[in-house]
Amino acid sequence: MFFNLNTQGLVCTLRIEGELDAVSVVELRPVIDRIGAERPPRVEVDLARLRLIDSSGVGAIVALFKAVRSYDGSMTVVGVRDQPLAIFKLLRLDRVFVRDVA
Amino acid sequence: MIEYTRTKGCNVICLEVPGKLECRDMALRTISAACKLVMPKASARGSRQADAISHIVSAVGEAYNNIVLHGYAGREPGTIQIHIENCREWMRVMIKDTGTSFDPAQAKPPDLEALPESGLGIFIMRSFVDEMTYVPGTDGSPNVLMLFKRLDEIPPSAINTHRPA
Repeated sequence: MFFNLNTQGLVCTLRIEGELDAVSVVELRPVIDRIGAERPPRVEVDLARLRLIDSSGVGAIVALFKAVRSYDGSMTVVGVRDQPLAIFKLLRLDRVFVRDVA
Repeated sequence: MIEYTRTKGCNVICLEVPGKLECRDMALRTISAACKLVMPKASARGSRQADAISHIVSAVGEAYNNIVLHGYAGREPGTIQIHIENCREWMRVMIKDTGTSFDPAQAKPPDLEALPESGLGIFIMRSFVDEMTYVPGTDGSPNVLMLFKRLDEIPPSAINTHRPA
């Protein structure tokens, strides 16, 4: 997994690439904590280059969503496709925070 | 260790890996590669075949996680044996381990409206395959999880006809 965190103005963009799974999710937890501490008004999670996600990875994305929601911020997930999209649809997350489905 | 044979029109692939998360990607790439042997159109994004690969890879991935994170938790990990059989119409994956048994039938379905952060693995497995059975190991025999997925739109009666015993 590779991730990149970039803040411009009010928008914080988190780009995650590769596999977000039980192996790699531990690397993402500090990032979620950091976003929760910095409280950017808008968080955009770019998953266009995410190849695979599992329930552990989904748990991290949902945790981030809840953290952002807790301080009345907004979060969207963009670019999700292929296997991650299948998971998001099954768990109905596409109705919660996904837009711009590829 | 990986073995490939072709029997009665089916691909048969056997893979044995250490029960560690580091080997998960190898197992899932093998599942994906096995699917592509029988689904040449699977590269078309959004196709039914591509969805089928996503589903079976997801289900096996969750099963693998369960074995490593729960079955082999707190002990020296054993191996995970993955036996794949597939043809154009269906795919069957048997996963064997010697860890602590679990009964997927006891897992309650998650409340998706509550946005759970855990407890989703068995729900994903069950949702993405057409059949799932689990036989806990006893007296040294391994736990056996069987996942069956239809890959093509054929009636169940035809599947039974083609399916090996």
